[in-house]
Amino acid sequence: MGDPHLLSSAHPAAAASSFARKHPGPIDERFSDPSPHITKRPRVAADTAATGGSAPYPEAEVRSLVMMAGGIYPLARAEALRGLAAVLGKVDAYRCFVAGIVECCYGCAVELMRDEDEGVRLAVVGLLGLCAQKFAARWDVDAKSDGDIMDLIFQQLSSMARDMCTKVRIEAFGALGKMQRVSEGVLLQLLSKKVIKTDTMSGTIIKGQKLPPKLKIPCAAGIFAHGIEDEFYQVRTAACTSLGALAKFSSQYAEKALDLLMDMMNDDTETVRLQTLQALFHMATYGYLSMQEKHMHMFLGLLVDANALIRNAARKILGLVNLPKLQMFKSAIDCLIASLEKNPEEQDIYGILFSIGKNHGSFSANIAKHLAKEIATASDGELILDRPRVKALMIVSISAPFSDDKHKKLDIPSIIFSHAISLLGKVSCALGEEVNQDSLLSYLCHKGGMPLWGNRSVSAEFGESESCKVETVEVGEQIENTAKATKCLDRVLVMQSVESILQTVEGAWTMRMSCDVCEARTILRTCKEELKVLAENSSGSIGAFLSFLCEYLDAIRLVVELWQLIQLDNSYTVGLTAPDILLEKLNISVRRMECCYAGLNRGLEVQVMELSLLANLLGLSNIGACSKAVLSKLVWVINRLEGLCADGSCELSDFSREIKKTFEADHIGNALIRNIHTSVELFRLKPTTDFGALKAISAVFQVCDNNSENPLSYICGLPVGVSFNISLWNISSNNRLWLHMSIGESVQHTFLEFSSFEGDGEVKSGSMVVPLNTTPMAHSFVLRVCLIMECYGGISSNQERHGGPSDCVVQLSDELDVYFVSTGQR
Amino acid sequence: MAIECLVLGRYTAALSCIPLATARLDLLAHADAALGGASAGAGQEVGKSCVVATIGGKRVMFDCGMHMGYHDRRHYPDFARALAAWGAPDFTSALACVVITHLCEALLPYSHLDHIGALPYFTEVCGYHGPIYMTYPTKALAPFMLEDYRKVTMDQRGEAEQYSYEDILRCMKKVIPLDLKQTVQVDKDLVIRAYYAGHVCSLYFLIVLGAAMIYAKVGDAAMAYTGDYNMTPDRHLGAAQIDRLKLDLLITEYGPTFNYEHDFSIWSTYAKTIRDSKHAREREFLKAVHKCVSGGGKVLIPTFALGRAQELCMLLDDYWERMNLKIPIYFSAGLTIQANMYYKMLIGWTSQKIKDSHAVHNPFDFKHVCHFERSFINNPGPCVLFATPGMISGGFSLEAFKKWAPSNKNLITLPGYCVAGTVGHKLMSGKPTRIDLDKDTHIDVRCQIHQLAFSPHTDSKGIMDLTEFLSPKHVILVHGEKPQMAFLKERIESELGMPCFYPANNESVSIPTTDNLKMSTTERFITSCAAEQEGVILMEKHKAPKILCEDELAQVLGMERHLVQFEALGSSGIEEAVELEFKRAEAADL
Repeated sequence: MGDPHLLSSAHPAAAASSFARKHPGPIDERFSDPSPHITKRPRVAADTAATGGSAPYPEAEVRSLVMMAGGIYPLARAEALRGLAAVLGKVDAYRCFVAGIVECCYGCAVELMRDEDEGVRLAVVGLLGLCAQKFAARWDVDAKSDGDIMDLIFQQLSSMARDMCTKVRIEAFGALGKMQRVSEGVLLQLLSKKVIKTDTMSGTIIKGQKLPPKLKIPCAAGIFAHGIEDEFYQVRTAACTSLGALAKFSSQYAEKALDLLMDMMNDDTETVRLQTLQALFHMATYGYLSMQEKHMHMFLGLLVDANALIRNAARKILGLVNLPKLQMFKSAIDCLIASLEKNPEEQDIYGILFSIGKNHGSFSANIAKHLAKEIATASDGELILDRPRVKALMIVSISAPFSDDKHKKLDIPSIIFSHAISLLGKVSCALGEEVNQDSLLSYLCHKGGMPLWGNRSVSAEFGESESCKVETVEVGEQIENTAKATKCLDRVLVMQSVESILQTVEGAWTMRMSCDVCEARTILRTCKEELKVLAENSSGSIGAFLSFLCEYLDAIRLVVELWQLIQLDNSYTVGLTAPDILLEKLNISVRRMECCYAGLNRGLEVQVMELSLLANLLGLSNIGACSKAVLSKLVWVINRLEGLCADGSCELSDFSREIKKTFEADHIGNALIRNIHTSVELFRLKPTTDFGALKAISAVFQVCDNNSENPLSYICGLPVGVSFNISLWNISSNNRLWLHMSIGESVQHTFLEFSSFEGDGEVKSGSMVVPLNTTPMAHSFVLRVCLIMECYGGISSNQERHGGPSDCVVQLSDELDVYFVSTGQR
Repeated sequence: MAIECLVLGRYTAALSCIPLATARLDLLAHADAALGGASAGAGQEVGKSCVVATIGGKRVMFDCGMHMGYHDRRHYPDFARALAAWGAPDFTSALACVVITHLCEALLPYSHLDHIGALPYFTEVCGYHGPIYMTYPTKALAPFMLEDYRKVTMDQRGEAEQYSYEDILRCMKKVIPLDLKQTVQVDKDLVIRAYYAGHVCSLYFLIVLGAAMIYAKVGDAAMAYTGDYNMTPDRHLGAAQIDRLKLDLLITEYGPTFNYEHDFSIWSTYAKTIRDSKHAREREFLKAVHKCVSGGGKVLIPTFALGRAQELCMLLDDYWERMNLKIPIYFSAGLTIQANMYYKMLIGWTSQKIKDSHAVHNPFDFKHVCHFERSFINNPGPCVLFATPGMISGGFSLEAFKKWAPSNKNLITLPGYCVAGTVGHKLMSGKPTRIDLDKDTHIDVRCQIHQLAFSPHTDSKGIMDLTEFLSPKHVILVHGEKPQMAFLKERIESELGMPCFYPANNESVSIPTTDNLKMSTTERFITSCAAEQEGVILMEKHKAPKILCEDELAQVLGMERHLVQFEALGSSGIEEAVELEFKRAEAADL
């Protein structure tokens, strides 16, 4: 009983400093000189006076904590050590050494390294790690200080990693990974259970009489070899992490550590395998990973692992490593291809293939040669570029010129490049951020010896693509420069095809004259399909324009069909394709063109207006008499056209002029109907390709949690709330949107308030609950909902609006079915 | 009144105990120093293990093994001689208890029972009736192995019966099972506790689990006896685990494991391929198997029923899962059933991973192991087959070998060690192209052969690591080969700075132990401790010693303080005194 030491430390703050001054002896004895290297015994007391002026007294704290650490109660010892660590963590490095605090803490930690209690040992590990950091920091400040202390701490930590307590082992391996400035000999010793003879361990310190680093703690030997065989996966994980982290200090160590890490790939715990890969990746990024042939089998196995995370991690590493032999390179490529065939969704493999190819220029050139041969010998249709293998090899081949070894002249057959053009998307994906698509395309075209469309773009882009060949590193900077060019190129490509399509359409329009309506219709349909494909792949205003064109072609097709019916002139009517229906469709189509595109420029608007004029004319002819509504609409359109062409920027077409003339002559419109044939003959298709900043207005909405299997419930006759998620594109606050909800015949319109929507100018989205005011007295019903927009430009023929929108509306979204079932029926 | 007074120099506050008395810990070791050495073939000899430690007057016998090399009385430890040395009337009064750490080394099929073999003899013939402790698995397996061995000695060697089956059963009845980390108070003073010693052997065949390290303590004197242990965990069995204890003595078995590996390096032509990482061996194994099956070949893995087969199968099963392989793995009949029974019973003794996953599913229900029938060996296509026995000495593994060996696509993996004369041994020694089973049957061997190498370093390193971890005051090595033990003693003494002994049979080693002595102090001493204070230890007959302050001493002893004064005498004083004396003498003369 009665440990006087503990008693005196019961009031640490008060007693410590006075005690320290009076009795330096006992404290000094605690430092039973942990190593010969700390020649200077920490005389803390002496320094206390010197630095005593400043407000906090870390010295005093340290002294009292060191005393407490010598207590008889393990929990108190552990807590004292943690306290020391906390103090040490706060004090800045310089002051630590002036006052000898680090030495003090270190001495204390060493003293308790072999404590009986595992909690204390755990705290010792933490403190040792922190001391090591401080010593390393001193090294930074003062180069003269002794490096052996680092090695010693390192070995001490290593010996802690052989502890019987799992937690201590985990902690110790963690601390090892954070060590700095460790000599190579000590590092190597950690990998081998055999004690390395000191004479082979030389190398690092040969100067003068200094002894080579001797293994002072024998059980520190081969600590990693033990760590990775540990029973607990947490320990193995920690060991792997440290194993990789230390690799940056020595290449010889890295090489041996790789052997151990590779073996960990067979570990039964996924966490450990992933951590191992992480460690390898770490090594690879530091450039200390040199794969050897013996590792290949194991490593390549990871590429076809059942676990996607593992595959992904392994690939990332493969993209960075250096493979010394062609055989290894080939097997790696083969394995990647196998992986690609197995998991076709993993497109990042192409990127890895490219970087591997880039890292091994001459090997890729070799692959390219073989591939070129294969392509050359394959007859038509035999070599399908879609095959992952060919695609993969192609990407490897074209990566060769990007390689860093400029010394060798790598001649890649031009046939490769010309074939690679078809893989442009893949290639640019593989390149990722490095190179943009347009420069790549022109580069490929150039290399493949193919003329690009228009020499202009080649010459314009070529300078940049040249640079992307040699200096892929710098390409990143050029992205901004070439970003615009890319868009232009995209646009050029698309516009070229659009132009050709429109030419076809014009041809089809003239074909209508020769009465070959069916063929004209087919052509128009096909053209529209093509445009749709183009529209799907493009975005922004070009996408909007393409969808506008689709609409336009639709309208044209309807006109053609309608015209045919009118020409046949009541000879017979064909069921559903009755002119009324077609006319309504045409009107809707025109209205969509008018309303669903924001930012229509003058040319386009004229185009739409003419079409509208034509539609109205056809409407007149269909009815056979002049309805007032149609006539007023006609007037409005003519006025609008005149307004558009007033400043002379575009000319009123013959067709419009003719109608205007006729109309002015005869306000009732009988003349129009009479001359309808001649008027329509005058109509010319002249679609413009200048679309400016066209934007498509569209909307998507959905009902939460509803399908036919999972209907919403309601009580017959009472209102029910339906919650919608709505996203709107390019809607301005001028637009008036309504939710059109119909149950059979009954319709309810609800106005959409934009106030509840969030988002920038382009996309607005929000969710709202819309009440459905009357529910039918039925067991269940289907509510059909769609979003409609009022056309502010048009003239509403419907004067009486029942609180709903004007009848001149366009549908913005597809119709959605919402299922309801009465609660009684559930 | 005799008073001893001892003044301690600079008695500091940190000291709460003073090593004062040297209690003696006597140790009697029976250990075999001379072993068969490097002789090849079947003539290995394995020593018996039996150590009697006397701590604080309590005798504890650790293990009770028999020597397989002798066929007479030398079989057993020399119990009679020990009894005579102790001077006790019988064993029951002489020994406090007997503790069996594990059954046997299990390294070689013929070596077993070197830790338990003599137990029935000792209890039933010699008449020991005191407590016997062993772990649950050991207790479960012991009667079978003892009976098995008894039959072998009687039938094959024609020896006289030393004990009967009934003796074994009677003996086992006396056994008290011991759980891990369970502290057992054997009697008033003696306390023992068992710690997990890992799996004893990871060689290709038998694995005996249930091995324990024993900690024994009487008063302040503590010791640990490790038996055989393993510091490297397996896929299904864990590594040794022990607390850091304050030990006066560590008795560690520098066991045959090391010897055999030493021998193997001479026997085996594959010695060069030995690597010091278990993982590397696993990698090589998987690579070989994968290469073979992906080439359409068949893999034959001859194995013993328990232990290694499970480990290899777990490895393969994991690999199959990861690589998404669909090739069937077969277990020849019996293997699975036995293993499941064995491991389910003893789940607490396996590794952490098995314990963790056990609750979810049986880790020995392998996903890729398919149902097997004998006729399957004629099936085409690749497969992996585990078959008994391990050395292809007959049975199903030989049958499969006969079928598969002639194809160069197939692969046979061999255990690290095969007894001479078996097919396995023939395959290991060189690369035979033809094996003659008997004079009519020949097998052309064209298949590939993969040998599972094993680690040569684990054991000496394991002993060093454990010793360093425990940091005992003394180390005694037993059950090993003399030169090896001498080498290790050298290392322990030089690297760890601990005195180390390796006594021969019937030799006693006696080492000093610490004895904590509780002492009372006076209040004044405690309060004055903060200052540098010299204390006095007061020891009186029939009283506990006590620490006092120096100035309290007189008071406590009830004595007055006597002052002896010396006066400095000046030169005149001396003359005066001389004169005075002179006068006195003169007066006397007169």
